[in-house]
Amino acid sequence: MTQRTYAEGETVDFVIVGSGAAGGVLAKELATAGFSVVVLEAGPWQQPSQFTHDELAVERENAMLNLAFEPIQTIRGSEAEPARRNAGRALAYRRGVGGSSVHFAANYWRFRPIDFKERSKWGPISGSGFADWPITYAELEPYYTKVDWEIGVSGAPGPFDPPRSRPYPLPPLPNKSSGVLLERGARALGLHAQPSPLAILSKQYDGRSACLACGHCSLYGCEFGAKSSTLATVIPKAVATGTCEVRAESTAFRVETNARGRATGVMYWDREGKERRQRARAVIVAANGAETTRLLLLSATPAFPHGLANSSGNVGRYIMFNGHASTFGRFDHPLNEYKGPVASRTVHDFYDADAKRGFYGGGGIDARFNYQPIGFALGVLPDDVPTWGPEYKRALAEYFTHSVRFYAHITSLPVASNTVTLDHDNKDRWGRPGLCLTYTDHPDDMKAKQWFRDRTEELMHAAGATRVWTQPILPIDGGVHLLGTARMGDHPRESVVDRYHRAHDVPNLFICDGSNFVTSGRGQPTMTIQALAFRAAEHIGRFAKSHEI
Amino acid sequence: MLEVPWLAAVASCRRDDGKNADGFAALTPAEARAMQAFAAQIIPSDKALPGADEAGAVHFIDRAFGKPFFADIVPVVRAGLADLDARARALGERDFASLSAGRQVAIMRQVERTPFFLAARMLVVVGTFADSAYGGNKRGAGWTIVGFEHEPTYASPFGWYDAHEEADAKSDA
Ligand SMILES: Cc1cc2nc3c(=O)[nH]c(=O)nc-3n(C[C@H](O)[C@H](O)[C@H](O)COP(=O)(O)OP(=O)(O)OC[C@H]3O[C@@H](n4cnc5c(N)ncnc54)[C@H](O)[C@@H]3O)c2cc1C
Ligand code: SF4
Repeated sequence: MTQRTYAEGETVDFVIVGSGAAGGVLAKELATAGFSVVVLEAGPWQQPSQFTHDELAVERENAMLNLAFEPIQTIRGSEAEPARRNAGRALAYRRGVGGSSVHFAANYWRFRPIDFKERSKWGPISGSGFADWPITYAELEPYYTKVDWEIGVSGAPGPFDPPRSRPYPLPPLPNKSSGVLLERGARALGLHAQPSPLAILSKQYDGRSACLACGHCSLYGCEFGAKSSTLATVIPKAVATGTCEVRAESTAFRVETNARGRATGVMYWDREGKERRQRARAVIVAANGAETTRLLLLSATPAFPHGLANSSGNVGRYIMFNGHASTFGRFDHPLNEYKGPVASRTVHDFYDADAKRGFYGGGGIDARFNYQPIGFALGVLPDDVPTWGPEYKRALAEYFTHSVRFYAHITSLPVASNTVTLDHDNKDRWGRPGLCLTYTDHPDDMKAKQWFRDRTEELMHAAGATRVWTQPILPIDGGVHLLGTARMGDHPRESVVDRYHRAHDVPNLFICDGSNFVTSGRGQPTMTIQALAFRAAEHIGRFAKSHEI
Repeated sequence: MLEVPWLAAVASCRRDDGKNADGFAALTPAEARAMQAFAAQIIPSDKALPGADEAGAVHFIDRAFGKPFFADIVPVVRAGLADLDARARALGERDFASLSAGRQVAIMRQVERTPFFLAARMLVVVGTFADSAYGGNKRGAGWTIVGFEHEPTYASPFGWYDAHEEADAKSDA
């Protein structure tokens, strides 16, 4: 792809840090509105032909993730504990053009009216910073619809859906055996399984191919452009405007500010490790809940001693990942869940929190078995199956094709002591401090996981599984939803950005990505991240045109 | 159990050749014999389905061994393999691989909880199922075991239940 390039020293209207779910949308919208835009993206610009089905490289080596590029992150339960190295995926995202929208599972649930006003409805929750959003579902609805139609979302209405102003552009993807079984379990219990909305094309759309059910979807890039990542959708359109340059392998390390406290541009390392500067009239940070935190904290100056945009002290605070709980089941006939997108049906009967349960928490349950053979053989079989020998082998042969997992995606409460901070003992190859996660589940989150696990277990029995097994409920030690670390709000003392994503402290700095979430939603954040990005772009463009930046 | 950097080094074995005459680059002939026999008990072969042996998991492990990253783990696995042979000799046999299957299994049970066993078992599993470009999973033998068809794309219906979706909905309606 040939694209417009801007010379060194040229000042553009906007520099956007990060080309992920949010950054891609912002680039396309602002470039289409006629602004000059440079997107700095730390990772490479991969073409779909470079994606592979190699499980060892992709799932075990984390070939596409930040973790392949960086030293292992650290984690601790509280500030009092020493940080330990985290061998898992503590703060995981894909580093590359398109960001984590390239390798995600593409479940695209909208938030509902309750998600934005839940603090008012439910009341305070001790030990948490539970708060309302400064915006409502009604304000965001047109932008959810914009996401549906601009990037291509497949789905069908369900009994508990929030109001929508326009139908889905595409019908649901084919149901899978897992979906048929979840429907069966739900019917038996008087619940409802509805088609899962997916940012995957069920039919050709906007010049892109329909999903070919390759089955290497979550954690993998789509070779056919059928997954509606920003790499496949808005980024090519941003570039096609002729006013947007996406600069890959460019790692931002400081947002620069002047004596008047305004942002003047972004310092970054190019692919050779050379320091460079991109000047801009306004800066937009869209580097996700982990990296946005790091960049803002690294941009401290005497005028902003605790990090840029951090007079509230809330940059890096309130990280939320969404809880998970599940039950596995084996059935008599083959399901072959390794084919097709991850999930085709979801139960939303438990979306709302209910005081009768004795804790705060809500969620949705889908059905899937997204394991490739190595991951399956190393860690999924019931505990009483031996880990080697003839019985192990029999189980390998009997379970891979015949098993399913009913998987609950659950709220996480925002807790002030759950943070992302700089780890000065653990530097990356540029000498940049690493990331430390400090996290302890709120007691209600643990109760919610237990409660949802029981629901998945009931559903599994009701679906007729011949063998049912679960895994223990564990505390969260990281995740792939990086939410809440630059929360949105009306009060500069309590939040980092205002309702238009403008940093309270810096008039021409905007932050727009998963970090702005005030609450976690029920487990699929990206539809909302993109709706926020479409909305933010409209307002930011308006401010720029009326000289209000 | 899934130590990321550890497996990362295994992944770097792709596109790497340089074997000696016996077809092994890093394993000695004795180690290769012991490893192969060990692998054949982790995922045994039977009439119906291949095992780690047909998958050639030992060739995957041979490549993994050649990596500097394994500096720490190679001695553990090497010592463990030598220990299997020593235990066999104590029973009057030439080496571990020469023992009957039953006696091999008995020895493996004795060491089942050692770091050697856990590391070697993990290597066998990964070698059996990883893409054959890494040296194991020959002719997709590992995928045959689990019933993974491994096509580039698939068409719906994928499984029995979605093929019988309407019947399912009616049966308990
Ligand atoms: C395996 C997996 C499955 C998932 N499945 C789902 C799902 O089904 N549904 C759902 O809603 N969500 C899912 N997610 C989460 C989803 O991917 C994220 O919520 C979403 O992509 C976050 O968007 P973002 O714009 O905040 O950040 P990202 O998409 O992560 O984009 C941030 C970008 O900024 C770049 N960047 C970071 N730091 C710098 C820097 N200093 N300089 C330059 N560039 C930088 C990064 O490389 C990245 O490209 C999944 C995630 C994973 C990992
Ligand atoms: S399952 Fe469909 S959308 Fe997902 S990667 Fe494969 S072809 Fe693309």
